[in-house]
Amino acid sequence: MSKKKGNAADLAPSRKEKKGIGQYVLGFFLLLYTLFCFLPVLLVFIAAFTDEGAILNNGFSYFPEKWSLAGVQSVLKYGHQLLTSYAITIFVTVFGTFLGLMVMSMFAYSISRKGFRLSKFLSIYLLIPMLFNGGQLSGYIIFTSYYHLKDSLWLLILPLCVSTMNVIILRTYIANSIPNELMEAAKIDGAGEYRTFFQITLPLLKPSMAAVGFMMATAYWNDWQNALLYITSDSKKPLQLLLVSIQKSIEFLLNNTNVPAAARAAMGGNIPQYSSTMATVLIVIGPIMVVYPFFQKYFIKGLTVGSVKG
Amino acid sequence: MKSFLHNTWKHRAHVVMALPAFLILFFIMYVPMAGLVMAFKNFDYTLGIWKSPWNGIDNFKFLLASKATFMTMTRNTLLYYIVFTALGTFLNVVLAIAIDQFVFKKMAKTMQTIMIIPVFISYAAVQFIVYAFISTDTGIINHAMDANIRFYSTASYWPVILTIVKMWNSVGYGSVLYMSVLAGIDTELYEAAEIDGANKWQKIWHITIPALIPMITVMLLLSVGSIMKSDTGLFYQVTRNSGVLYPTTQVIDSYVLNAIFKNSNFGFTAATSFFQSVVGLLMMLFANGMVRKIAPDNALF
Repeated sequence: MSKKKGNAADLAPSRKEKKGIGQYVLGFFLLLYTLFCFLPVLLVFIAAFTDEGAILNNGFSYFPEKWSLAGVQSVLKYGHQLLTSYAITIFVTVFGTFLGLMVMSMFAYSISRKGFRLSKFLSIYLLIPMLFNGGQLSGYIIFTSYYHLKDSLWLLILPLCVSTMNVIILRTYIANSIPNELMEAAKIDGAGEYRTFFQITLPLLKPSMAAVGFMMATAYWNDWQNALLYITSDSKKPLQLLLVSIQKSIEFLLNNTNVPAAARAAMGGNIPQYSSTMATVLIVIGPIMVVYPFFQKYFIKGLTVGSVKG
Repeated sequence: MKSFLHNTWKHRAHVVMALPAFLILFFIMYVPMAGLVMAFKNFDYTLGIWKSPWNGIDNFKFLLASKATFMTMTRNTLLYYIVFTALGTFLNVVLAIAIDQFVFKKMAKTMQTIMIIPVFISYAAVQFIVYAFISTDTGIINHAMDANIRFYSTASYWPVILTIVKMWNSVGYGSVLYMSVLAGIDTELYEAAEIDGANKWQKIWHITIPALIPMITVMLLLSVGSIMKSDTGLFYQVTRNSGVLYPTTQVIDSYVLNAIFKNSNFGFTAATSFFQSVVGLLMMLFANGMVRKIAPDNALF
């Protein structure tokens, strides 16, 4: 029995072993767990294409009696709002991730410079928020009554922008995987500090930035809490908040059986239905499902690197 | 001092580069810390945090007086933390070992990709999936069993439901870290054991598990630091924030979120927040101290 010693990020090192009955039993259990993870996601796909009547009569099902495109089509009734929300979410995700990667890698680079005496203070300054924080309530009051940022996209971007853990991951990568000689050589060749960073360090930092960036993008894409707390106008509603408000209006209809007919009519085609709700969920979670496999290796590396402090 | 200033001036480019993140942290993280003084004030929206009158420890007296709410949410926070951490760690390790032992590597990789997917679905979306399973009229479970169980108004089911959802969400992802440790085990160890006549289980018990122990210890200790924090989405979204379920689902974070929306009870909430932050800090210091003793390389500071 021999095995090539794989590198630490290689998750499935090959090992020559007997493919005995035990392997098939193990495979069976792994398959069961995979299904446990996958089936709920599959249900979203199926329900999105199930006929509304079939759901009302037989409930949600993996084998619907009748398929239909009506759910997906009626999502288009949200049309304008869905497009707006998509645009907001994409903007916040792209801009936030880009901004965060930029400011965090500059910070990480600075505090990893040898001979920079302020870096000790900056490291402690970075660490404190991980140990102690003001909590949601005081954050809410400070952001809304002192910064007056209620209903501002900045509150979707800034709170998720800089995180201690991500800076530590970037700093570790700079310290361990980018030879300091490169930066020194650039300086000898007459490059200034900024040029050294942007032309030498930043390109070499890409693998680590891909890992951190993917995690950040996911956090931005999935953030509902800040949106729910701070965003009030429809034109700034991100996708997750759209999901929350769909759920809220379902609740409203369920809890208020005596909603006047006029009010119901006013809601018009926007009374959410099961299949169209699931179609919306599908549209919200879809992009991450599509993008994630391409980033898997990066973020697994990032996760592993982050656990080993430099 | 002079040399320090001189050094700082020499590194002014680094100061400039650190500045944006410094400012973001200052305004987003540090200023709200000062806001915690609210816990000792009779907060009035019109006066703001600084000008509201002090009221000593009245808020905390109030906290202890209204035992039911405070005790319930603290108990829930702690119990869910214990269950999620214990069960989660156990399942992470079992899954990591299982995938590591599986010889069909291509298949293992595909399975792993699928197992990680749930962590990327926001709870705002997850709650619709959960609803499809357990709703009374249209839920799969009620239809399959031909039953009429009212999950959304029966508090006693929720510890189980939330645990299942949480494990579904996080185990695939959590096992990645342990798998990277397993990939680093020297194969010679296994070969030597084989020569000595060890069988598969003995190898797992005597080589694989001991190799994982340091990482398990570190992860457990570090998680102690977030003992007072919960996965807010799980408790707020998945339960549809249903009041009937609060006895088993209200945690500190979701309580605070609700208080903000209801715009009420700021004294009580501020005291709760303060309690949460201070206990969090103490736990973090304790956890880091322990990690420093056991595995200094993994300590945060």
